Amino acid sequence: MSDYFEYVKKLFKSSEEKRDPPLKGIKVIELTHYIFGPTVGRVLAQFGAEVIKIEPPGEGDRFRLGAVWMRMHKKSSLHFLAINANKYFMTLDMRSPKAREILSKLIEKADVFVENLRAGLLDELGLGYLHVSRVNPRIIYVSCSGYGQYGPLSRAPSFDVSAQGVIGLAMKSGWPDVDEFYKLPDYFGDYFPAMVAVAAVLAALYHREKSGRGQYIDISQAESLFRFFYDITYLSLTGEEIGKTGNMDPLAITSGIFGTKDGKFVAVAIMDEEQLSAISKVIGVDLVNTYKSRFRSKECMNELNELISKWVSSKTLDEVLAHAKTYGFPASPVLTDLEVYKDPWRWERGSVIEFNDRIYGKVHIPGVPIHMSATPAKTKWLARPVGYHNKLILKKWLGYSDEEIAKLEKEGVIGYWDQHPGMCPPDTWSLDNDPVFRGEKDEYE
Amino acid sequence: MSMSRRDELLAKLFAAEGKPSVLEGIKVVELSKSNLAGSMVGAMLRELGAEVVKVEPQGGDPAKDYSPYGVNVKGLGIPYLIENLGKKIVHLDLEQEDDREELRKLLVSCDVIIDALKPGYLDSLKLGYRDISRENQRVIYVAISPYGHFSEKAKEFLNVPDSDLTAQSYNGYPSIIGNPSVRPAPLRAGVWAAWMMAAISAIVGTLLALYERLRSGKGQFVDIATHETLAAIHMYPILVGFLFGRSRPQYGFIDYILYPFGIYKVKDGYITIATPFDTDFRALLKVIKRWDLEPDWRYAIDRVTDDIDRIVELEKELKKELMKYSARELIKKATRRAVLPMFRRLVGRPVVVRSYTLKEAIGEKHWYIRGSLFKVSVNGKELMIPNSPFRMSETPGKVPVERLKDILQ
Repeated sequence: MSDYFEYVKKLFKSSEEKRDPPLKGIKVIELTHYIFGPTVGRVLAQFGAEVIKIEPPGEGDRFRLGAVWMRMHKKSSLHFLAINANKYFMTLDMRSPKAREILSKLIEKADVFVENLRAGLLDELGLGYLHVSRVNPRIIYVSCSGYGQYGPLSRAPSFDVSAQGVIGLAMKSGWPDVDEFYKLPDYFGDYFPAMVAVAAVLAALYHREKSGRGQYIDISQAESLFRFFYDITYLSLTGEEIGKTGNMDPLAITSGIFGTKDGKFVAVAIMDEEQLSAISKVIGVDLVNTYKSRFRSKECMNELNELISKWVSSKTLDEVLAHAKTYGFPASPVLTDLEVYKDPWRWERGSVIEFNDRIYGKVHIPGVPIHMSATPAKTKWLARPVGYHNKLILKKWLGYSDEEIAKLEKEGVIGYWDQHPGMCPPDTWSLDNDPVFRGEKDEYE
Repeated sequence: MSMSRRDELLAKLFAAEGKPSVLEGIKVVELSKSNLAGSMVGAMLRELGAEVVKVEPQGGDPAKDYSPYGVNVKGLGIPYLIENLGKKIVHLDLEQEDDREELRKLLVSCDVIIDALKPGYLDSLKLGYRDISRENQRVIYVAISPYGHFSEKAKEFLNVPDSDLTAQSYNGYPSIIGNPSVRPAPLRAGVWAAWMMAAISAIVGTLLALYERLRSGKGQFVDIATHETLAAIHMYPILVGFLFGRSRPQYGFIDYILYPFGIYKVKDGYITIATPFDTDFRALLKVIKRWDLEPDWRYAIDRVTDDIDRIVELEKELKKELMKYSARELIKKATRRAVLPMFRRLVGRPVVVRSYTLKEAIGEKHWYIRGSLFKVSVNGKELMIPNSPFRMSETPGKVPVERLKDILQ
């Protein structure tokens, strides 16, 4: 009997028993921008789907400009390169009827279509679900929006932050005694709903295997964020809003983020009696019996919080963690960006990876943290400049000839990048040495 | 097609009554104790139609006490109630041979196992993936734990239970929330952000494995670490670490990719402002009649900066100016700027949306037209429960509110 953790590691890390990716052969078209829509395609592509991202010629997805502190890496936003890894980049000028016709042909051959444009916009262009499903009844069509595809709010514009604001979530994070609140950072209102949309697509694919039918999926940021927002039910029961509670999780017996003796921070959460009894052993007071009659009252939470705060301040971070490991209560260091990035545990698991791209060279990017023993996620290439795969896709998917493609270019139906960072290739790139760009070779064979 | 016509058609298309569920006939066994992340996974599979058996210790799952200030319905806390609706709950003492055998029977005949217990505990009883997959090749084993089921760290922290707060912290989330000029200390996100992201990741992994099983006939092991998913899906700590070799400070209202992108106080409440492009920002300056700010802040590169002291100057001006208007006035002005779609690219338009307190938010009729929130009567109280976010025209996700009675037995 080998050690369990070794056994599991071997399961994940050895090349034995690996199978084809789950989404092998699944074709996805996305008409997306920013984060919400593109993240859906990102995850599908990591697990083997063939994803074509359609952009307008020239500028492409406007989020190509979205870089932390506007820092570009080899003339591209690394953020964009990572969100859109493993995808094919094609442009279509949707103002032209010919472009819409090409998109129609692509959708006819696709299994999944993802869009996060303004609700109703694609209907206006004759590319809504009701049109597309007539041409391809097996299509799984996903519309991602702020508040859903129908209803009085469906016309309102939305970003992560506005969705958080409209449902009252944005006011949840902050100190109770400070008249300020902070939105959930890092576009949680885009990433979380995007994962909900991925789950819905997978469910629809599963269903299609049995029924032969596709379907329409309407994922909204607001409804996704509602789903685990327990304050709603609390409000209906008590007539009160919980509001901001600082570092105290009101669902716990007590909790907080505390300063240690060596000037660091540690999070401690005592969720139930068992965990309170565990920390009691360390602190040396029987907290369970002392406080039992008042559990989960605000006063009790605060008193216990004071006690733990005092205890933590007399210990180093390592001492607190050592006690947590021995006695069994939740405790964790509070990491910074740099500590997350350098964390050897993350590197070992592959949620941070070094990737060597054909065009952009060596970068460090996140892997997908959904670890599957037989069908792991894979990064094959990073995003590409605007229109980069035009020729490849038109040849491979639709059988166009070089002449036909040249004609489309001339008419402005398709196009390439603007000479602007975020849209164009790096300076090291040369057209002459790139058979993929010329459509003669695939990215990954 | 007119908008109202479109609304009508879509409302009809998405009506949920009488439609099948995706996972009908799929059997899930959820083992969770003091771990609501595991129950969230079971809950979402149940929304998609799976049959879920939740195995609890004799005496029940301590997670039933987790609730804001202990508020409960017949002794059940809010998240426990919501996440376990419609599950079959069985109590087993896994230290007893008979109960272990009963669990073994469940595991060898099910499709999905959710293991939210201590990593390796089931294996020590010969009920882990190692043993069960020999008898049940089709089984999909979904483990959800703080540090996963492999690596030295996972072994080292084996006895440390999970919580959302500790998971948020290890993902680096509290380090960037808050306003250092007010209180320079880490601050938690006010919802279970880390558990939410871990649970939805586990759902995605489970559905990928189920879909793949249709082809291969085999199951597999899916490993989710709550201390990892949030940061890996957001990416920012990793990108910032690699590109800048340092960490972001707490960012308060300010954003590091788009600016302005946040919530501002106005005369009669709050609004959200987002100006994705420079033209939108300039349009905002026109709306609030502060064109004098334009030369200094024209380009995103001026406004998106790691020099917080500098951006605070603009933030102060905006805050001061916005207080002169009501939400309605601003929304009207911002919308009016977009009437000429032909010139929109030149004109720009700030996104301005009202921002609500929770009480205001749930009064919005949109949610009831869409059925986003349910109202159910329990003990003479009206309980509000969110609907499934899986809006699907053929196989909608369903929250089995009609089974509330069963869980409240």
